[in-house]
Amino acid sequence: MFDLLPHILNGLTLGLLFALIALGFMLIVGLMEQINLAHGSLFALGAYFAMQLMGPRPPFPADLAQSWLALPLGWRYAATLILAPAAVGLVGIAIEFCMRRTYGKDPLYGLLLTFGAAMVIEEMIRLTWGTRDYVLQVPQAVNGGFIFGDLIWSTYRFYAAGIAVAVIGLVWLLIEKTSFGATVKAGAHDSEIVRALGINLTRLRLLVFVFGTMLAAIAGIIVAPIWGIRPHMGVDAVIPAFLVIVLGGVGSFWGAVVAGLLVGLAVGLSGAYASEWSLLSMYVLLVAVVTFRARGLWGKKSMLEA
Amino acid sequence: MIPTPQSDSARLITPTMLVLWLVLATVPFWIARVGLYPYLGIEILIWSLYALAFNLVLGTAGLPSFGHGAYFGIGAYAFGLCQFNVVANLWVCLAAAFAVAGLAGALVALFISHRRGIYYAFMTIAFGQIFWTVAIKSHKVTGGEDGLLKIARLPADFGFASFDLAGNVAFYYFVLMVFGIAVIALWRLVHSPYGRVIAAIKQSETRAAHLGYNVWLYKASIFALSAAVSGFAGGLFAMAQLAAFPDVMSLHQSGYVVMMTLVGGGLVSFWGPVIGVFLFLIARDVIGAMTNAWMLYFGLLFIAVVLFRPEGVAGAIMAAWQNRSLNSMRQQGGTALRLLFGGGRWR
Repeated sequence: MFDLLPHILNGLTLGLLFALIALGFMLIVGLMEQINLAHGSLFALGAYFAMQLMGPRPPFPADLAQSWLALPLGWRYAATLILAPAAVGLVGIAIEFCMRRTYGKDPLYGLLLTFGAAMVIEEMIRLTWGTRDYVLQVPQAVNGGFIFGDLIWSTYRFYAAGIAVAVIGLVWLLIEKTSFGATVKAGAHDSEIVRALGINLTRLRLLVFVFGTMLAAIAGIIVAPIWGIRPHMGVDAVIPAFLVIVLGGVGSFWGAVVAGLLVGLAVGLSGAYASEWSLLSMYVLLVAVVTFRARGLWGKKSMLEA
Repeated sequence: MIPTPQSDSARLITPTMLVLWLVLATVPFWIARVGLYPYLGIEILIWSLYALAFNLVLGTAGLPSFGHGAYFGIGAYAFGLCQFNVVANLWVCLAAAFAVAGLAGALVALFISHRRGIYYAFMTIAFGQIFWTVAIKSHKVTGGEDGLLKIARLPADFGFASFDLAGNVAFYYFVLMVFGIAVIALWRLVHSPYGRVIAAIKQSETRAAHLGYNVWLYKASIFALSAAVSGFAGGLFAMAQLAAFPDVMSLHQSGYVVMMTLVGGGLVSFWGPVIGVFLFLIARDVIGAMTNAWMLYFGLLFIAVVLFRPEGVAGAIMAAWQNRSLNSMRQQGGTALRLLFGGGRWR
């Protein structure tokens, strides 16, 4: 049994990362009933922006770049965790402005629109940074490994899992415990009443969408040191994100988190026995669940399936 | 006099088909002169067949399937494996491509036909990914990422005469012949009583069920049939490429066929997918020759189509042709799109 422990731990940390990746996707699906297929590309964009900011040639004017590079690595990393998602948020604004035309119509419009946007962003990444792999520098404090029970553990994985827990917790607090969250949920539930109460729904939707894209970027920055940075990373992220949402059930916050953990465990444990096939396990898991439970684990009735 | 769609739908061969075939039959004579090459013609025909088969599910039945590349790829592998392990006969191997892909489709249909909307869409993606992973990882059977190589273009034996298809022009005419027969079959299928029930299910599953139709069986059978024809096209593609690669089964490539079908206008027209394939592959070669980033421009075009022209190119042409307002066409396109994810409820 103890042999399995590393794989279970590995699966759990991976699961938290899946949940983190799915978080922004879930917000936009749950609160706006829109499927944002560009989620993966925004995730990749976050990682690329962070890589550029942390790298030797930051995108600033010469004198500012000098003082930026003079900062300690840890400070730069902390600032990057804010700056890169903010930049991705700007891209999110542009997508939302296009997407506006599709509100009130079928969600498939949004899905196709964001599919196109994903293609465009991925192509732009290829044009700007080429197809080679990059590495994101991280501060020494979270890098390296430690020995526990005769095994070497990667510090970064635990740091990443910790960040995932923190971000998931903060988002839950924001949605469930603040008046902003209440308004947003009400807007998703009955837009007419919310408008009648004098709330600017257009701005509210923009905020939710941009928040979702920024979460995608944060996930990208956190996951980048583990998966590496390459143009394809967007697709590698959006499929598990989509899968986690469908498995957990559309509209269920904890459903998505549990689904993320389940997917992580499935991938981690199957990786222990047949590493070649470990990615297959998440699809098998999905098929097994959705065949018997029409709306995933705890899905609510939604426009997306009507 | 311009024929109305009503009279066309009763025909075995429509004027549009005749014109299309005649134009396509001349392609080898001029394609090299406009700077393109005969192989492109083959590719366009095969992808057109694939997109038409795909549109049985997307356009005719209104079911969002985003993992269709799997069946195209399975057909290609089945063709190659049949050639190597069973018998090197063109007809047998093409039949195998049709049957194996159809079986795979039927198997998947068992799991998904009671689902709708986003869950249906994602189940098709999941199965597509499963088949793709299996194709990549089963090195011994499929050759893994290197692909199944050395597939031969088997001679077409008609009993009284046998044709060698090794040359691109001979193969082009063979594919054109097969394409012609397949188009007639699909046209009849879509306009048969069976096809009408499928269209009714697209409009409202509930209504069709209340009229006594077994909705599940219709949804499952159209999916399996579409997979089988896609696999058949895949078999031809294996011959064209002289190999079968897992690439076509990836999510990206499955997305391309969705894009082609939608840009062409598959939701409002039988011919939409064909128009989309023409645009996509020619754009790939023409824009691709000028810039590496042709996908960027095609992506932007796709966004514009989704935002401003949901009826696609075919819709715009039909509107002009039939002197109907573009607006009514657009509404039709919009409704068709809405039904895809509305899962059969008029809103």
